[in-house]
Amino acid sequence: MTTTEAVSERVNTTAPKEYTLDVRGIATHIFESGPETAPVLVYLHGTSLGNLWLEYHQRLASSFRVIAPDIPGFGKTERPDLMRDMDDYVLFFRDMLDALGLEKVNLVGHSLGGWMAAEVAVWYPERINKLVLSNASGIRVKGTPIANLFALNPQETLDVCFDDVMAAMPLMPSEMNVDYFLVQYRERQTLASLAWNPGFDRKLERRLARLTCPTLIIWGVNDRLIPPVYGEVFHQKIAGSKLVSLPGTGHMPMFEKAQEWADAINEFLSPNGGTLR
Amino acid sequence: MNKLEFHYFHLMPWPYLPKDFEESVDSAWVTVPNSIYDPIKGHELYNRYFDELERADKLGFDSVIVNEHHQNVYGTMPSPNLMAAVLTQRIKHAKIGIIGNALPLHDDPLRVAEEIAMLDVISGGRIFNGFVRGTGMEYFSYGVNPTLSRERMNEAHDLILQAWTQPGPTIFEGEHYNYRYVNIWPRPIQQPPPIWMPGTASLETIDFAAKRKYPYMTVFMPMAQRKAAYELYRRTAEEKYGYEAQPNQLAFCTPVIVAETDEIAYQTAKKYLMWLFHKGLKVRPEFNFPPGYISEKSFLNVLKAGVRGFQLSTLDDLIAEGVVIVGGVDTVIEKLSYYTDELKAGMLVAGGHVGEIPDYLVLKNQEIMAKEVMPHFRQKAEPAVTPQIREVRELVGVSN
Repeated sequence: MTTTEAVSERVNTTAPKEYTLDVRGIATHIFESGPETAPVLVYLHGTSLGNLWLEYHQRLASSFRVIAPDIPGFGKTERPDLMRDMDDYVLFFRDMLDALGLEKVNLVGHSLGGWMAAEVAVWYPERINKLVLSNASGIRVKGTPIANLFALNPQETLDVCFDDVMAAMPLMPSEMNVDYFLVQYRERQTLASLAWNPGFDRKLERRLARLTCPTLIIWGVNDRLIPPVYGEVFHQKIAGSKLVSLPGTGHMPMFEKAQEWADAINEFLSPNGGTLR
Repeated sequence: MNKLEFHYFHLMPWPYLPKDFEESVDSAWVTVPNSIYDPIKGHELYNRYFDELERADKLGFDSVIVNEHHQNVYGTMPSPNLMAAVLTQRIKHAKIGIIGNALPLHDDPLRVAEEIAMLDVISGGRIFNGFVRGTGMEYFSYGVNPTLSRERMNEAHDLILQAWTQPGPTIFEGEHYNYRYVNIWPRPIQQPPPIWMPGTASLETIDFAAKRKYPYMTVFMPMAQRKAAYELYRRTAEEKYGYEAQPNQLAFCTPVIVAETDEIAYQTAKKYLMWLFHKGLKVRPEFNFPPGYISEKSFLNVLKAGVRGFQLSTLDDLIAEGVVIVGGVDTVIEKLSYYTDELKAGMLVAGGHVGEIPDYLVLKNQEIMAKEVMPHFRQKAEPAVTPQIREVRELVGVSN
């Protein structure tokens, strides 16, 4: 599902390249767009947001060579059965950078992808130039649990994730058929493998102190899935990080405030951005 | 062999629900507020339920059965082994079924092996088991990852069987469970205590049971589904594992309301039976099928079957579909005969206690079942064939 054409008109760039990359035997579906000579930005999507190329991707691609893989178990990238834990994913992303021939990248992750991005930065700091965590999971803030996606029905999920439900239109299937529900079930299995219980990494919060790269934390202030206090804790734990709170949006700022969200990231990742440490 | 074994199961429900339960509580499982439970009334209720099981024993049922469920009003037995321990002291003749322990919910299945061994020794070898995975809801209640449910089930099963049957100490090396010393004290009397597999027609469970010749028990399912499950079990047994499935491998669990006449039974069922389906099994749909709890193949089957939830079922639907059995003695005998004669299923697991049903009606149900239905399926005592009789028969050319 892409809305490339509609977006292209608005942000005036070309359609993304789409290809499959062999990452140690995992056929990884990737969108890529942006000036070939620009610095690389790897974008890790959130749960069930694979196989998408939307306005927000395009906005990032105006300044960067954006590489947006479908994370194994989402979109068009299948997950091998034994790929079940976060460390499998951390290794996968390192392998992916190797397969792409990229030594050092800017890494941007949203929600579950944010958790993965933070883990990759903890384990392979030498591969990360700058890090952006948007509405990221991965840690626990006691007393303020993340909403339990597994217990929510589709309507409740939309209500928790979106301030403006109309912004979710690109996620609506053209037809609610058996295939659609099967894909949903499959993707939820991937999420459950990683985040059924606990839905975080007990060690990540402590390990965030190891991060050395400039880091931007960006959050929709009305996030009802991963409350903004999570952004504050990431901000506290990552020395020198910058926190940007976006008003008028919740868990999905890139859908609801695509320009503000992308501007903040583009500015931070620009050569002079994010250097205030 | 009797044509039909009569097993008596109890769910031990919590019947005292607030009047506005159906509007105010969106799930009778997982999130149902436990302020609804009154421990003082619970004390009286548990003992009343034990009395009912004791009566089933005295009336001649082959076994009494308890099970494991968590955080719900449907059944208040989070530890079925505790219930079985009580029953070993109350039930003198019948077997005691624990159908079952929800193995994947427990991080230490060796404990289950030990407890069943204890119960088997205490009861003099009268324990049989169901090994189950627990409902989808229980993966929410216990926080166990549903994507690992089946693997944990299979591994726990292997571990428990090893603990029961192999002289210890042995070593168990699994993906999910790992023990250097498997050496349970006590060992069970039965080698091993029998295992049944209750199921809701999932392909994987049927194969698992057929492979090991474990009785397969259909649970609260429409007749068409039960039939399909038995057929698959038979076919799997025959074509894949090379043997013919016997009636004592096919069990059916169904609430049975029997009374003097069809009409009285129907009225009783109308008043009490629907509690089970409309209240006890009121489940938030998201709790039913957590991701990975069933395989994608089974999930597809569920999608395609377009199953109507029990919430929308009427008593007439459930009777017509064969989910429940309701009727006078002749009707009940006829319906049970369909299982024994047509489906060749030889083990009835009948519950008589549903929801708010008063004790005198439970008693009546049990008595009619035991005294008027049961004898129809019991083998008539045949005169012993002495060597002299055999000799005479041979002389006159009459076979046995």
